[in-house]
Amino acid sequence: MMENRVRCLVIEDEAETSNYICKGLREAGYLVTAAATGPDGLDYATSEDWDIIILDRMLPGRIDGLSIVDKLRALGKQTPVIIVSALTTIDARVTGLRGGADDYLSKPFAFSELLARVEALLRRSAPGADSTQLQVADLKLDLRTLRVTRGAKVITLQPREYRLLEYLMRNENQVVTRTMLLESVWDYHFDPQTNVIDVQISRLRAKVDKDFPVMLIHTLRGVGYRMGATPPDDMEPPHA
Amino acid sequence: MPRLPNLWRGSIVAKLVLGYGLLGIATIAAVSAVFYSGTIGVLDQNIDGKIITQSERLLESAGDGKYPSLEAEVKRQLSDGIDSDREILQLFDAAGARSAGNLGAWPGTGDDDEMLTTTVTRNGRSAPARLYLRPLDGGGVLIVGRDLSEEEAVRDVIWRALLAGVCVSLMLTVGGAMLFRRSIEGRLGDIRRTAAQIEAGDLSPRIPVTGNDEFALLNRDINRMLDRIELLMDGIRHVSNAIAHDLRTPLSRIRGRLDDALRHDMTVPRLSGAAHDAIDDIDDLIRLFERLLQIAEAESGMRARLFERLDLGRVVADIGEMYEATAEDSGITLTVDAPDALFVDGDRNLLASAVASLLDNAIKYAGPGAAIRVRAGLHQGLASIAVHDNGPGIPECERGNVTQRFYRLDKSRHMPGNGLGLSIVGATATSHGGALVLEDAAPGLIARIVLPLAPG
Repeated sequence: MMENRVRCLVIEDEAETSNYICKGLREAGYLVTAAATGPDGLDYATSEDWDIIILDRMLPGRIDGLSIVDKLRALGKQTPVIIVSALTTIDARVTGLRGGADDYLSKPFAFSELLARVEALLRRSAPGADSTQLQVADLKLDLRTLRVTRGAKVITLQPREYRLLEYLMRNENQVVTRTMLLESVWDYHFDPQTNVIDVQISRLRAKVDKDFPVMLIHTLRGVGYRMGATPPDDMEPPHA
Repeated sequence: MPRLPNLWRGSIVAKLVLGYGLLGIATIAAVSAVFYSGTIGVLDQNIDGKIITQSERLLESAGDGKYPSLEAEVKRQLSDGIDSDREILQLFDAAGARSAGNLGAWPGTGDDDEMLTTTVTRNGRSAPARLYLRPLDGGGVLIVGRDLSEEEAVRDVIWRALLAGVCVSLMLTVGGAMLFRRSIEGRLGDIRRTAAQIEAGDLSPRIPVTGNDEFALLNRDINRMLDRIELLMDGIRHVSNAIAHDLRTPLSRIRGRLDDALRHDMTVPRLSGAAHDAIDDIDDLIRLFERLLQIAEAESGMRARLFERLDLGRVVADIGEMYEATAEDSGITLTVDAPDALFVDGDRNLLASAVASLLDNAIKYAGPGAAIRVRAGLHQGLASIAVHDNGPGIPECERGNVTQRFYRLDKSRHMPGNGLGLSIVGATATSHGGALVLEDAAPGLIARIVLPLAPG
């Protein structure tokens, strides 16, 4: 984890959901503050500096989630905001994202999905080393020449496989979910009924991991994938 | 229901009939009045004119206008045999005594310059007459008139004719109105009877359609609406049954698993396994709900304001590429033929999801060894996405059903899925102003989404 612990504000009126989120985030090592109403949430959000804000769209107390985002952005604060909402229509999602939120997650959601998205946002807002090369263990991806090598072996990838690998490598040691991959690599947001993403991953895995002693792409049951030299605790044997 | 007292007050038919009846009567009255004034009125006027002219002529031909010459002239005219059965001439002297003339009894008095209608006795019989009383210079009155017996007879005939005409017309109006009313009420009765049956819960009856008049058109419209409602009701009934079934099964499975885990040796792996399974099942349920919501959302057509101009060719190419590996793994050849610049207004994610659903279906049902071709392009002036497979296809009689919610072909019941795929695709196409068309590819199926091209 990072040296400074991540400060996280959760604005959610439903006690059980709020506990579920806060507990999970604390377990992940974050400093968590919870607010249960719109006005409270707005106070917290504007008076202190946060690394990330997770808020429910519908809140009691006349100030809803979207207006909190509005005020925050009007104050010039670029704090990453994830909206969690039971309003799941694409309509609601689009208005949420257009309203200044950075991500939109519909309820009910798996905590792992939320955490993965929180971490992706934190990483995005962190000042990253402007490197020209990504590296995970002995896997290297040169961003200028688009050359991918593992050890001494050159790996040839299709354009889409390249983008998939780049995304995984940029999120080294972080969980990425299937929907996150679909959104970031394919730039679509919908729920594919079949395992198209899994198939793409296993293709990539066949090129990147096959014939090498150390697995880099790991499957997390019911959650998604994680790239890293060390396997996660809750790991399934790879399908391929 | 108090029918009779309100029959005329509340009935639009009655009002119409009454209105047309009154209009008919007014028309008859107007025609009669014109006819009357055109016949008898003209007759009367002519008579008055003639009388005045005659009196002028008489006075003129009397030469010096003195009484004696006037008397002689009257006598001459009365004996000239011209118009003698109708003309009336009578002269009174200054003292009021009868002088020359053919007027018998003279009931009237007055010596004003006036025109009057009265009954006179002439040649021994009483008769209606029109008289002109003309006072003379130096005393005396000249009466010039006409026997009106003949005119009266004509007037009688005309009156009788008018009366008969009015009676016949009135009877025709009333009879016609009643026929009109009965016919309209009959037609309305058809509609009302059908409506009552439907209200009672039987959606199958339809209004009988006869002829090609306004009622037939209306009835046809109503029948079409009823067809649609019946279809929707069937759909809802079907959906409720399906939801009841599709929810009950996983719910009872989840419940059973958790119950079982609690009742038997509660080891951590066992419990966590049960929890994982339960979460998976619940995720499936959530997905099912989301898809149902998605259909409802698409069907409500509320999304058009979020539409953007997009390149359908690009979407098809992206999704096609996404499925290439999946198809290959299933032993299927997938060819993507999607030229750029096929612009439509729509929701990119919904359309992508629709294409993905069609590809999903094709891969799932065409089976290993099949060839699938997805192409974007123009089809009859519309933007089209066609997914063509050479699998078993869908029998023609089933093609309308597969787009219904939860509908699954019998032979595919063992496969995973919830029977919502094609209904979502259909709803998506409809919400974009297009349609999902299933065609026979002999062998196989062409599932085609057609969408209106972006204007301009």
